[in-house]
Amino acid sequence: MRTEELIATLTENCSPVRPLAHPEWRAVPWFAISLGYVAAVVAAMGLRLDISTKLADWRFLAEVGAALATSMMAAASAFCAGCPGRPVWERFAPVPFLALWLASLGIECWRDWLASGGAGLAIRPDLMCLPVILAISIVPGVLILIMIRRGAPIAPISTMGLAALAAAALGAAGLRLFHTEDASIMVLVWQFGSVALLTGLEAIFGRRILRWPTLQEALAADRHSPR
Amino acid sequence: MRDSADTKTRRDREEHWRALMRSGQNGDGKAYAQLLSELLPLLRRVVTHKWPSAPDVEDVVQEVLVSLHTVRHTYDPNRPFMPWVMTITKCRFADAARRRYARSANETTVDVFPETFSGDQTKTEQETSTDQEDLRKLMSTLPGGQRQAIELLKIQGLSLQEASRVAGKSVASLKVGVHRAIKAMRDALERKT
Repeated sequence: MRTEELIATLTENCSPVRPLAHPEWRAVPWFAISLGYVAAVVAAMGLRLDISTKLADWRFLAEVGAALATSMMAAASAFCAGCPGRPVWERFAPVPFLALWLASLGIECWRDWLASGGAGLAIRPDLMCLPVILAISIVPGVLILIMIRRGAPIAPISTMGLAALAAAALGAAGLRLFHTEDASIMVLVWQFGSVALLTGLEAIFGRRILRWPTLQEALAADRHSPR
Repeated sequence: MRDSADTKTRRDREEHWRALMRSGQNGDGKAYAQLLSELLPLLRRVVTHKWPSAPDVEDVVQEVLVSLHTVRHTYDPNRPFMPWVMTITKCRFADAARRRYARSANETTVDVFPETFSGDQTKTEQETSTDQEDLRKLMSTLPGGQRQAIELLKIQGLSLQEASRVAGKSVASLKVGVHRAIKAMRDALERKT
């Protein structure tokens, strides 16, 4: 097909489209819905018995707050990454909050080591974390996947990685509210590690999941659903 | 003086294309067609500049146009237009380059094509006799059932039903026999080479 003919084909049935909302305005409803879902899961599982004590501990609040902020910023960054022409630095917006989250766990590990030596950093198997975080984050994950597929796949690996980070970080924050595991090294390895693993795994499949539509798919979309 | 004139021209062009894009997003096919037509020389120039020896410049340009069309809802009318276009162009160009490298990794450039046909007339006499001899020897080492399946289906060229009637075996067992025989012969040939 000649290029001039292609242009005629594309513009022949050009349906009106509604421009995507600003990434922040897309991140807010995602976060609100996902937070509601995670709150429902936490309520169903039952809050940990020492929740009132934990909520008075600023370190616990800083850790959970950093996880929630990471989730929110990663979602906004994932939406930014699907909008061509936006600055690349926006994709790194969750990094400070991720660093804060990691630092809060790292400081606690340091304190445990000072208090108990090597015994304070003993790692025991806690295989519950990964499946539980996966189970909690599956609904937010599917929701954000549907939303990022509306964007342009200009950076599929980072977009999928950020979307997975958003969902998994929210799941990890929820887990902290009903799972009584407070040894910092355990939280670092099993909970933060699960988030890192899920983020990496989904990023690997970015190119397969987020791809450019073919001409036939584009024309079919024009015929069937005005955006 | 000339720089400022260029800047003004660019700014005017940007404003013009933004207006056309806004109209295109609102369903104005004519404005949209005008926009894509006006973008065409620019896209060809960009792709040719980045990949001077590319044999498929027009294919890449067409991919860019289809991509611009499919994600036209991602353009924010309050933001500059050219960065939006150029990001998509660079991305599609990178995809095309990646595809090309992946394809070339599986290709070997040769001056003379090697003979790969099964017909004996395309091979040298030595190759023909060696191949036939090897296969004959391998056939003789196969278990009876597998050898019969190969003879009926691959040498005599019978259909599965015909071979089933001749051998008095089920179609499934003939299929299994052929599969195993070919696998055994292939493994033996690979070991030999």
